[in-house]
Amino acid sequence: MTRARVFARLASALGPVWAFLAVLCAGFLLILAISSDPLLAYRDLLLSNFASASNFALFLNRLMPLLLIGLGVIFSFRAGVFNIGGEGQLYLGAIAAASVALALPNLPHALALALPIAASVLAGAVYGWIPGALKVGLEVNEVVSTLMLNFVALLLTEYLVTNPLRDPVAYGAVSYVVPHSSWLAEIPGLPGSTVGSIVAIAIAPIAWVSLFRTAWGANLRAAGSNMRFAETVGVHGKRLVLQAMAISGGLAGLAGGFYVLGIGHRFEQNFSPSFGLVGLTVALLARLHPIGLVATAAIYALILNGAAYMQIDTDVPRSLVALLTGILVLIMTMRPRRGPAEA
Amino acid sequence: MPEDVSTPVLQLLGVSKQFGGKVALDHVDLDVESGEIHVICGENGAGKTTLMNIVAGIVRPDEGEIRIAGRAVRLADPTDAARVGVGMVHQHFKLIASMTVAENLYLNRQPRKFGFVSDRAAMRAGAEALIRHYRFELDPDAPVSRLSVGQRQRVEILKALGFDARLLILDEPTAVLTPPEVDELLRIMGQLKAAERAILFITHKLNEAKAVADRITVLRHGRRISTRPARALSEAAIALDMVGREMRPPHRTAGPAANARPVLTVSGLTMTTANGRRLVDDVGFSIAAGEILGVAGVDGNGQTELSEATAGLAAVQSGSIVLNGRDVTAAGVRERRRAGLSFIPEDRLDRGLSVSMSVAENLCAGLYRRKELVGPGGLVRARAREAFVSATLRRFDVRGGSPSLPVGRLSGGNMQKIVIAREMEQDPAVLIVAQPTRGLDVGATEFVHGRILAAADNGCAVLLISSELSEIFALSDRIAVMFRGRILSIVARGEATEKSIGLMMSGERAAA
Amino acid sequence: MWASQFLASVFVQTTPILLAALGTMVTSRANMLNVAIEGMALVAAFAAIAVGQAENSAILGFVCAIAASVAMALMFGFVSIVLGADFIVAGLGLNILAAGGTLFLLEEVYQNPGGLRPDTFPDLWRVPAGSLHWLPVLGPALESQSFIVLVALAAIPISAFFLYRTPLGYALRAVGEDEPAAVAAGIHAARMKLLAVLISGAFAGLAGAQLAMDRLHFFLPDMTSGRGFIGLTAALFGAARPWPTAGAAFIFGAFGVIGDRLQLFQAPSQFVLMAPYLAALLALVFARWRATARARPAAVVGESR
Repeated sequence: MTRARVFARLASALGPVWAFLAVLCAGFLLILAISSDPLLAYRDLLLSNFASASNFALFLNRLMPLLLIGLGVIFSFRAGVFNIGGEGQLYLGAIAAASVALALPNLPHALALALPIAASVLAGAVYGWIPGALKVGLEVNEVVSTLMLNFVALLLTEYLVTNPLRDPVAYGAVSYVVPHSSWLAEIPGLPGSTVGSIVAIAIAPIAWVSLFRTAWGANLRAAGSNMRFAETVGVHGKRLVLQAMAISGGLAGLAGGFYVLGIGHRFEQNFSPSFGLVGLTVALLARLHPIGLVATAAIYALILNGAAYMQIDTDVPRSLVALLTGILVLIMTMRPRRGPAEA
Repeated sequence: MPEDVSTPVLQLLGVSKQFGGKVALDHVDLDVESGEIHVICGENGAGKTTLMNIVAGIVRPDEGEIRIAGRAVRLADPTDAARVGVGMVHQHFKLIASMTVAENLYLNRQPRKFGFVSDRAAMRAGAEALIRHYRFELDPDAPVSRLSVGQRQRVEILKALGFDARLLILDEPTAVLTPPEVDELLRIMGQLKAAERAILFITHKLNEAKAVADRITVLRHGRRISTRPARALSEAAIALDMVGREMRPPHRTAGPAANARPVLTVSGLTMTTANGRRLVDDVGFSIAAGEILGVAGVDGNGQTELSEATAGLAAVQSGSIVLNGRDVTAAGVRERRRAGLSFIPEDRLDRGLSVSMSVAENLCAGLYRRKELVGPGGLVRARAREAFVSATLRRFDVRGGSPSLPVGRLSGGNMQKIVIAREMEQDPAVLIVAQPTRGLDVGATEFVHGRILAAADNGCAVLLISSELSEIFALSDRIAVMFRGRILSIVARGEATEKSIGLMMSGERAAA
Repeated sequence: MWASQFLASVFVQTTPILLAALGTMVTSRANMLNVAIEGMALVAAFAAIAVGQAENSAILGFVCAIAASVAMALMFGFVSIVLGADFIVAGLGLNILAAGGTLFLLEEVYQNPGGLRPDTFPDLWRVPAGSLHWLPVLGPALESQSFIVLVALAAIPISAFFLYRTPLGYALRAVGEDEPAAVAAGIHAARMKLLAVLISGAFAGLAGAQLAMDRLHFFLPDMTSGRGFIGLTAALFGAARPWPTAGAAFIFGAFGVIGDRLQLFQAPSQFVLMAPYLAALLALVFARWRATARARPAAVVGESR
């Protein structure tokens, strides 16, 4: 690569970084204005994740769903589908994992882990496939269909966790604890973490390879950028779009499965602090590049967790981050329109 | 309003325009007299459309002056241009399909009741008056979506003329007209000329330029090369100015072999819409190896559907398509390509390319079944792909940048070369090519024609679909005419004349 | 009479959806899919309760609600139209901003992330009880409805008139249908689009005000619950034409009311709540199915893949 090309690549990669820094500055100014102890607030926001092993574990726990859902978004958007259904796919995956684990309590460890995970992936995949099929077959607008399906999934899982799956002993709308044979192992040295986070990080480069170094990925991106073109050259565009949507939903479902089996160890109503929407955001911030996503998801997990600590220690409310996220998305999208990042 | 007839209606002095560093117009001077038909000729990219857009107020010049009837004017938008009496008839009509003729004529200049309500009665009356004045035959209440192409053009003309226009600009108006509609257009132009209007006419068809012009101005690379009376000019002289060098029309080295077997046979092909209208009506023909069958016809008579059906992109209601002895009527695109078919679609931006993807990716699209490009696990062999891409780009003389550049940044000619490269690189047995030189300049056109002829010389059976009669005549061995979905007749090149084919293109069969 | 009661509930439930539908219909006519309608309505609801409580004035709350959502719309329009942001992504961003911003204000100003529940709250002007008894079925249903419901109903013919009988409406439709043609006629496309966004902001403001101020008199985070999106679906289903859009909005609202009634028969509340979203989705699927079936020609020999 020539030096000019290296600079150009760096510049386009740094674009979102400028937006992010700008918003961070705005956030700092806001904290300065409203807090009596701004320095503590900043320190909590940025550094608290590294203060202890268990804090770091919580950071990884937050990273996992953002990363998986973000990867799912990348697959679907690259296939030309505006999939906003990550939240719903996440919840269905979670409830599927919980249901299967609770229904089959006496299995050997390997199966007790594999079956619920498979169920979560399958549930998410089906729920992602549906809006894909509606778009491909009937040209139903996928923004609307995924938005509607999100609400349906949330309500459905809410019903399940407040009735058949409800743990009558526990406080709140939560399911029974899944049997210990179904618990995902912790990362050694990080109490409270889950190996699911490692798996999520490992999937990112696999996603990159499959999208940018395989024939399947090249065909998928062709279909996503111009379906009529893909048809003309003999690519089965519609089939690929459906596969991408199934993968997209499956990844979100997997995140749900990992959450239930590895973090909460049960299904909790409203366990997701908008993982779906934030996952979408970090994927867009990374300009739909799987490796860039690891960075943006990590940054987001960092400040989202940091905001929680900040709220405990100081008088700055954690919703500050939500507010800043909205501003960030608006700023980020208004850069002179650059398409998704090339491999 | 009496005007000093000696002052030109329009004067352009030193007009220049750049688009992001690329010079579109370079100090162009022009003058048009009242009652004159002034033709602007030039290749694509010569700056004709930009110049017209400046006169019509759609684009503002970087330098230079515009004078209307001797007075310098500044045209900030099309409304200003309309106010000084300039009207433009665009190549791609600027009409709102769901609105009526009257509503289109009055778009953005509606008469109002109570200040904020549209006065539809006044619009209808005004439209009727205008239509009657020019003796067009249009229904002011008809939605534009229901009008034919010729009728729509007449609405465009009325829109441009309507409000006391003294200068009318026509941008490639005959591209979509049948020969009788062209005659009608010329009659209208004569009418306008007699009423002392001035007309600026853009075309790349030299025979038309010669037929209508009083004077002809040639643009090349944004500069005015010459302005001369049409009488004194030959088509060759105009072409020389346009291109800057002698043209070498390509020719075939050998026709199809005497008893070559048919490679592509289409019979009884019929395609209908949901309410039974026949887009393609019982079409049948056969093409032998090394033969070029040219399908002539005005756009919109079923050619698009025919090309897509043969390529496997559209379903047919009845009939059959046989490729090298195999019935592929029910086969998909991939199967047909494996049987040796290639397709160069009529709209490279719509079907031929993905403008956001790179040159390399466009070149390799659909080719990922090849063992030399794809290894185990579906992984692309990066180095082999790179080698393939650079070799192919060189072989087809594609210029304009590196393989990783988004293909949308290339010129029209180079984009088309990539489509051709991809489709012809595999030496197909059957090549379907539709409107191959649309939007291309003379140089690129020469190249494309050369490649099509070379493919035929190599034994490829070529189905050429084109609305450019000169192209059909330059390349075809046999000529078919398509009208309203049917093939009216197929004649050998030697027995056809442009006039006889032109008549058939408008539905009239030549006298037996 | 149960018919009037049913209709009355339908009016209440439908009005926010109808307003959102009409708002997104106008932007659809300018060729934009306005997902930000949800966030704009939320901000309006918040402003309505916050200002209404602070000033103890329903009318002031109402005015500020509209002002807040129009301000959001202005920002949204500026970012997407003038600065070229992708419309849908910017819309989602605006929704995040609205949700986060209102939550932030709840926590920072009111110290209560659960919501803003004033002990007392002034009521909106309503149709006086008994004034419409002479109108069968419809009369009693309209009595005691807030004036916003009346505004919403009036908005249906008004928006039809605006789109089809005024020069601005023509210009807007032209921009949405064929922007190059509109520009060639001298219409300022960006201005028309911005106008459409502002109009939808006003409608969103009415929707948010109605939601918060009619029956509830409080603000909860996420109280719009996708009603904006359902309105968007209604506009898509109605092909952005005023009367079919309004009809679709009423159908979806009716589903909500039917669902509430079913709850009385011990049906689980969640399935009941699902009804409008499922209805909206199924309606859209059905509409697309009809459109594709109609465009497909009969008996095909070779279906190419």
